[in-house]
Amino acid sequence: MTALLGESTLGFEHEALFYRGEEDFLAGLLPFVREGLEQDEVVVVAEPAHRLGLLHDALGDDAAAVRFLDMAEIGANPARIIGVWASALQEQVDAGRALRGVGEPAFHGRRELELVECQLHEQLLNHAFGAGPSWRLLCPYDELSLPRAVSQAALHTHPIRTTTADRLPSEAYAAHAWMETFAADLPKPTDAVLRGIYGPGDVPATRRTVAQYARSCGLPTEQVEILELAASELATNSIRHGGGTGTLAMWIEPGAAVIEFSDSGHLTDPLTGRLAPALDSVGGRGLYLVHQLCDLVQVRSSPRGTTVRVATWL
Amino acid sequence: MRAHGQFSELPEIGATDHVCWVYAGEGDLDVAVGRFLDGALSRGERVLGVGEAVIESLDRESVRYGGSGALAARGALETLTLDEAYAATEEFRHDRRSGFYDAATHRAVTDGFTGLRVIAEASLLAADPDLRAELVRWEHLADDYIAQGSLITAMCAYRSDLGLDALSDVASVHPLARAPDGVPAFRVFFDEDRVVLTGSVDSFSAAQLEKVLASSPTDGTSTLLDLGLLEFLDIAGCRVLARWARSLEDRGGRLDVTGASRLVQRVWDVLALQRLGSVRFVGVPA
Repeated sequence: MTALLGESTLGFEHEALFYRGEEDFLAGLLPFVREGLEQDEVVVVAEPAHRLGLLHDALGDDAAAVRFLDMAEIGANPARIIGVWASALQEQVDAGRALRGVGEPAFHGRRELELVECQLHEQLLNHAFGAGPSWRLLCPYDELSLPRAVSQAALHTHPIRTTTADRLPSEAYAAHAWMETFAADLPKPTDAVLRGIYGPGDVPATRRTVAQYARSCGLPTEQVEILELAASELATNSIRHGGGTGTLAMWIEPGAAVIEFSDSGHLTDPLTGRLAPALDSVGGRGLYLVHQLCDLVQVRSSPRGTTVRVATWL
Repeated sequence: MRAHGQFSELPEIGATDHVCWVYAGEGDLDVAVGRFLDGALSRGERVLGVGEAVIESLDRESVRYGGSGALAARGALETLTLDEAYAATEEFRHDRRSGFYDAATHRAVTDGFTGLRVIAEASLLAADPDLRAELVRWEHLADDYIAQGSLITAMCAYRSDLGLDALSDVASVHPLARAPDGVPAFRVFFDEDRVVLTGSVDSFSAAQLEKVLASSPTDGTSTLLDLGLLEFLDIAGCRVLARWARSLEDRGGRLDVTGASRLVQRVWDVLALQRLGSVRFVGVPA
């Protein structure tokens, strides 16, 4: 434990690992994981399934001591990932142990919109854990298969950059970049948009409108019901916390049905809905549930207003 | 299952029916009272008229049977003013026992009638927010009693100018109602071994549901709630059910939920509502 105490002043160490191909991936990951195990840390690895398998096999007997999570499952909507790390960290803090994580949110095969949200997620990790207990999180970026802009952006979202050879501070790191991203407008839809305004008393009509639209998009019953519930929660948020009224917009994009709720409220905490709400907390449950149930949720907020855009993959 | 839902034309009344009739004026009340009276007399039931508005309506509608006096003389009609009924049912309201109605039904059967049909008008109670809360509890308890097939049916008439909030409150505890569109958002009623919740519960109606459930009678063992006919339930509604489960637990009981959709069960898991109150989901989702 002495070594851990010595490191405790380091706080949250968020580092990007740039790798090229599977061999490089293992060369970067194996020493990181093994070092954690040697120091009696709890090691949690969140990777897409094929990378999990690769690492699992390469670790041999050591694999048994590692907790593996399928990133494509727990982080399908990237806004869910911080909650997973937060509960893992809490669990280890409670148990008096140190946490070491590996998380590859931006993996090959992600949709463009998902990669956009992965970047905001990476920015918000620094905000979420920066002032908390010490732990290490290594985020592998596959330079061979990801768009160059995505791996380049990781230099801005991680204070530490790592290769198999070096571990250096990232000079491009921008600790407060989330503020700009979170306050920015989302791109305007290019196709025809159905729009409506809702106010107090309109929640049932709003959810029925959304359910009807979801059905007309050919979505299965389960998705229709999820979007109906999301509509009810988000419209209720507008009425209770977002100035009393809001605007609903619905459209189709290539590969996705989108419903969007906008109001004049300001979400001052960008982590709202990303962390599991306390049992007795007043708010944040609706957005948390929407993040958990829906395919991809984009939240942007500034003093000009709040937009929650929910995409369902077709 | 018992007849339930919204109707526009008064249906033929069957065993265990408990109807809420929202009426616009005297003529509108008379239509329902007349139909209810006809049905009762043709089935050999005794009518118990409660409340001044109903007593007056019965006077008008019983003309074709020779008048209220004639019906009363042969025991087919009894009446209570609202004050008398309020006093007579005090034990029922506070001790959650059905003594008054039990005795009245028993007496009707002993006197040779096939059952008891209650026609009540309690708009005065519904108009006062405090009394209304008590009235809703009373109606809910009465529904439990009626659902048990105790040879009693009831129609409760309320004036439409009470306003949507009051009408929603009172209509929500009747399985059958003629009420304005969208009123009530949900219904809670008893059916055989279970409590049935239909309609939709969201953040704006959850508090109303919580009040009804808080008054729901329980025998301290397990309570079965049927969500199979529920149209919609949001987080606030789920939390009300979880808190109800907790209060049943605190009283030595337990809440079993049947007919819950997969989505409701997912919401339970995602929000870890089990921490709020322990619910056992039973039965296969539809």
